[in-house]
Amino acid sequence: MTGATSLVKSLEAAGVEVMFGLPGGAILPAYDPIYDSTIRHILVRHEQGAGHAATGYAQVSGRAGVCIATSGPGATNLVTPLMDAAMDSVPLVAITGQVPSAAIGTDAFQEADIRGITMPFTKHNYLVTDPDQIPGAIAEAFHIATTGRPGPVLVDIAKDALQKMTTFNWPTSINLAGYKPKTTPDSQAITDAAALIAQSSKPVFYVGGGVIKANAHAELRQLVELLGAPVVTTLMARGAFPDSHPLHMGMPGMHGTVAAVTALQKADLLITLGARFDDRVTGKLSTFAPNAKILHADIDPAEIGKNRHADVAVVGDVRETIAALIPALKAALAKNKPDLTAWLRQMNSLKSTYPLGFDVPEDGSLSPQLVIQRIGQISGTDTIFTSGVGQHQMWASQFISYEHPRTWLNSGGAGTMGYGVPAAMGAKVAAPNSTVWAIDGDGCFQMTNQELVTCALNNIPIKVAIINNESLGMVRQWQTLFYDSRYSNTSLESKRVPNFPMLAESMGCVGLACERPEDLDKTIEKAMSINDQPVVVDFRVHRDAMVWPMVAAGTSNDEIMIARATAPDWDSQEL
Amino acid sequence: MTTAPRRQHTLEVLVENAPGVLARVAGLFSRRAFNIDSLNVGPTENSAISKMVIVVGVEGHSLEQVIAQLDKLVSVISIKEILTGNKPEAISTQPDYQN
Repeated sequence: MTGATSLVKSLEAAGVEVMFGLPGGAILPAYDPIYDSTIRHILVRHEQGAGHAATGYAQVSGRAGVCIATSGPGATNLVTPLMDAAMDSVPLVAITGQVPSAAIGTDAFQEADIRGITMPFTKHNYLVTDPDQIPGAIAEAFHIATTGRPGPVLVDIAKDALQKMTTFNWPTSINLAGYKPKTTPDSQAITDAAALIAQSSKPVFYVGGGVIKANAHAELRQLVELLGAPVVTTLMARGAFPDSHPLHMGMPGMHGTVAAVTALQKADLLITLGARFDDRVTGKLSTFAPNAKILHADIDPAEIGKNRHADVAVVGDVRETIAALIPALKAALAKNKPDLTAWLRQMNSLKSTYPLGFDVPEDGSLSPQLVIQRIGQISGTDTIFTSGVGQHQMWASQFISYEHPRTWLNSGGAGTMGYGVPAAMGAKVAAPNSTVWAIDGDGCFQMTNQELVTCALNNIPIKVAIINNESLGMVRQWQTLFYDSRYSNTSLESKRVPNFPMLAESMGCVGLACERPEDLDKTIEKAMSINDQPVVVDFRVHRDAMVWPMVAAGTSNDEIMIARATAPDWDSQEL
Repeated sequence: MTTAPRRQHTLEVLVENAPGVLARVAGLFSRRAFNIDSLNVGPTENSAISKMVIVVGVEGHSLEQVIAQLDKLVSVISIKEILTGNKPEAISTQPDYQN
């Protein structure tokens, strides 16, 4: 058989059911056997869409997402999704065609050194020039992408390696001398962790996206309820712990709740599970959680101590870690059970005094936060939400209640505008029976909306809410706050052009618009009633709404503002 | 993070003898802004494995990060710190850093 057939057989052997891609010259040999394969190939309109769709698929299914593209610009169009997947630890396998091996290094037509380009943000990558090495490279790629800390792996295959004859040998085992992720935590570390928790009187669970990746939400809930300490879930961990749970203080960070941010600042112990002390959570690092000891559990040893010293480090799979910690903590608490009553009372007081909220515009126009909140309430907690990046993303994290893991997908680390629509496409492919809403901005939507054509043609009926404030809203918010309201290049005029409902209709979707609060619920219900076509709703919202609370970039979490120039009334709080 | 005086540390890094591995290591030092004082690459008895000797100008916490990040590279098989000082070179008794 050809190398191309061996590639497709390898993907089948790896258990691939769906891939997102777009052919071109160098990858063309592979597309011939793809034509006969059982793998569903979804033809996208831009390779970036393939990459984010594969990410959305992976985030919902927990399996590796697969995207495929040709050499040169096809491959470089995957660069953003690969970087995005690396930042958010998404298992992704990208296959790219490369110019024939004899032409590599000659600046051949559509030649790009995609292995070199993607080295900084792939977990590993390959350039395959020998067809006999295709099955091994594919098997290793899936192994590396899905084990340890998940991440993207790229396999670049020269065109002649796809064309030459070879035999298919799927490896029975994988042994990489330089890759042996440690999944089982050391028992001493677990004992130390339990002892540290049992000594603490102001502990907080600082929960990151790793808990969702490791499918550890059930164990997390047991551990939390065993200790009875407050919980915060980062932007990547929304849904890891139910929002409705009384111990949940909300999201920490730059746009976190007062309760969540303050819980971290005032804690004497952070029980850090699959989180990485990102700058958007810590604010100014030197003033972050100044009185807290750090228990840091992560599968990636390089995260331990990277940004904040860990007093106790537990390296391993966070599900195994929590499972081991539960009996260890029970034993430790039997000897010494700290009284958390005062701590919980303080936190609950903050939670009730400073709930998330928003002002409805006085001019009767539509509030963006209300739109997002109502979509969440009407569509229910089994719905999967994706978002772009900006104000609408923060509001979607704040004002939708997440009760289950893998129902909130966004670009957290990379902050990739345009993630929402293609990620929703991938999510819907992974969960065809779930309602999938992309909460998008008018700026983000104009970056990747072409994938609605893909959705319309491939029976992928997603729903898109464009939160149209005719601005690059988050940038505009910063201009309001930090640049004297000088709105340089943030006005998109997208209430004039484009006409989003017409654009949607032209792409084979249903296009709706909503401008008045009184039409809000019936518009959402109309969108919910359409399940045989993608739906796009242009929610024309008030322009000046801002995201609050806010910790300005580079400042301390102690300087959290609940509205412009308004800090919480700390004097009235016993802290 | 550390205020200790700058000291050199020598790392003996066994890597896959494969195209692109030097670029992976050099790129890691560059993008994470780690100081590199010198780097030598040579063969080992095993033709599939090369040895890099890397001298880094970092201490303490930063040194731990250099080692931890290097170890994340799939092409890196093992890392040993070679102790240098008044005495002739001696290989530390630390076990290899593992993933």
